[in-house]
Amino acid sequence: MAEQPVDVEPRGQNAAGEVPVAEPESVTEDATVHDDEVELERTIGLVGGLAIGIGTMIGAGIFVFPGLAASNAGLAATLSFAIGGLIALLVALPASELATAMPRSGGGYYFVSRGMGTAYGAIVGLGLWLGLMFASAFYLVGLGHYASAVFAELGVGLPFSPVVGIGLLFGVALTALSIAGTENTARIQNAVVAVLLLVLTGFLSYGVLDAVGVFGRGSVPEQFFSRGYFPVLTTAALVFTSYLGFAQVATVAGEIKRPGRNLPLAMVGSVLVVTVFYVVTIFVATSAFGADRLGQFGETAMVEVARDFLGVPGAVAILGAGLLATFSSANASILSASRTVYALSRDALLPRRASEINLRYGTPHVALLAAGGPILVLVATGQVELLAEVASFLHLVMYGLLCVVLIVLRRRNPEWYSPSYRVPGYPVVPAVGALASFGLIAFMQPGSIAIGVVVMIASYVWYRYYAGDVTLMGDV
Amino acid sequence: MTDRPSVLVPIRVLEGESIPEGVPELLATAHVVLLGYHVVPDQTATGQAQMQFEDRATDRLDEYETIFEDAGATVEHRLVFTHDGQKTIDRTITEHDCLAVLVPNATGPVDDVLVAVRGAVGIDRLARVVAGVFGGTGASVTLYHVAEADESDEDVGMVLDGLADRLADLGVDASTVETRVERDRDPLDAIADAADAFDAVVMGETDPSLATFVFGMPADQVADRFLGPVLVVQREPARDAAE
Repeated sequence: MAEQPVDVEPRGQNAAGEVPVAEPESVTEDATVHDDEVELERTIGLVGGLAIGIGTMIGAGIFVFPGLAASNAGLAATLSFAIGGLIALLVALPASELATAMPRSGGGYYFVSRGMGTAYGAIVGLGLWLGLMFASAFYLVGLGHYASAVFAELGVGLPFSPVVGIGLLFGVALTALSIAGTENTARIQNAVVAVLLLVLTGFLSYGVLDAVGVFGRGSVPEQFFSRGYFPVLTTAALVFTSYLGFAQVATVAGEIKRPGRNLPLAMVGSVLVVTVFYVVTIFVATSAFGADRLGQFGETAMVEVARDFLGVPGAVAILGAGLLATFSSANASILSASRTVYALSRDALLPRRASEINLRYGTPHVALLAAGGPILVLVATGQVELLAEVASFLHLVMYGLLCVVLIVLRRRNPEWYSPSYRVPGYPVVPAVGALASFGLIAFMQPGSIAIGVVVMIASYVWYRYYAGDVTLMGDV
Repeated sequence: MTDRPSVLVPIRVLEGESIPEGVPELLATAHVVLLGYHVVPDQTATGQAQMQFEDRATDRLDEYETIFEDAGATVEHRLVFTHDGQKTIDRTITEHDCLAVLVPNATGPVDDVLVAVRGAVGIDRLARVVAGVFGGTGASVTLYHVAEADESDEDVGMVLDGLADRLADLGVDASTVETRVERDRDPLDAIADAADAFDAVVMGETDPSLATFVFGMPADQVADRFLGPVLVVQREPARDAAE
């Protein structure tokens, strides 16, 4: 049993007079140990970690983006997804190293606050919290599109577009569900992911065989860069939201068994798995219809692709899968958001009350409501692309800083820093990861960048006002 | 007397579970590993529960620790916040090398003990628990075995006599030990029925099988039906760390 001492002493107090909770004495494969007598059990295995990562990612990338991405970049959208996957991988590797050195709840926020200090931590932490809200809102709007497509499929004509309404409804339901506390949510997540991967594998195998002409049609043609080169990058920036799930694995790092092995495997593994699925999906979808028609189908383009291949049963299967996937993404993000609130209030950057647990259900109702409320407001805007980009922006800032933290820590090499996994290709991989993360931001729409910057400034102002006195950085 | 056998006493400390009457006296000669645990749903980070409940839970555990110490036991305690109570119990058993787990039920003074013996495997651990907990109390010990159809009387006799000898080695007064064998019955029903006449039960843990998946471990089933305390003797720990 490998024990790692944690030698970071948070100090100071916030405006409400609360001090950060003391760090644990040691971290073992099965538990986090405080004072030698109090332990936090680690209960999520490798499969659970992968399910969190894949379950969060696969909903957006496969079910919401193909139409949007194809209309922006044509067949080259496959390249956009590949670029997104590569950047995610470049960040997942450093994130893995940091996670094995600091397997505590809070993920990216925790690493940045311990490596670079409270100010950066606050910007990343609050940014991550809001970023998860934007991501959840985006998934819920996607869910709304899928649910409306179900109505359309059933032949129910509605006089208004039900997308936002359904998104709101599911948002309320998910928040209520997480507060009431369903047992075994983790097991349900695992099952959902397994079903999704099965359905998609079947569908994509058929699609690929068809596209390369095994049974007749053979319709790969179309010019690859039909929209030129630049849209490939802007599309990569847009669809990067599809890759936000691996960071969610790190938010539950404190609950993962054998973190030294399972965290890197879950993060890197889930990025690799979904990258393959995304690239193949876009390839199949664009070769079925061509980018123009695919673009016209919008958020539920995948339903038309499935109908084209497999008729009505195919469309129904993909509709079901899309509902499941967007639902599980939204659910996972709301839970990560509440974990982030916990990490922030543990460190006195948010009031302790924010992560209070209610006695009846044992769930953090304040944190869940604090995530659920704003999510509904965001859903009400119904702006799929904007929501996705702001979520990406806030995460990309964190990812970039993660890579920087890794370099900083390796150079300072404090005594407590002893990761059991080390990034290959240091310092090139983290440096390229940081550059790519920050670089991708440049290809976003000005509106998304502006909102993201406002969020960062607000986070900094909050930190100065509320917790300017708190020191979280690890001793050198 | 032998070394004190270490016995795990798991308590859901924040859900009003407390140490039932008679249990501290029962374990007076044991080394008690007192596990206070609190199960939180998947939605909640375990650390969140710790932040809010640690002080309250620790106060209670300290109280219980004193109760056991006053009765004469040596005690160490742990407080664990978990999503999975069973995993926590299993891990604590391994880390503290507990010989047995107590399913705590209220009890009066223990005058007679039923020791359910399955076979030759694990006999030594069974003997250490029985001798360590009941050896000095003068309680009468009944070694009980439900034989299967193809088991000869000699086989059964050998196992039970072997256990009796081992108990004698460990300082248990031989006159307090008797043996009893039954045939042609479902072991579980037989043990549960026989237990009614006793104050406490000691039994081994069985290997997990399909039936235990569906119906739960036999020890749990006996504990559900028997109103007194049950000591479940743990298997020899397998020394490989799978998953």
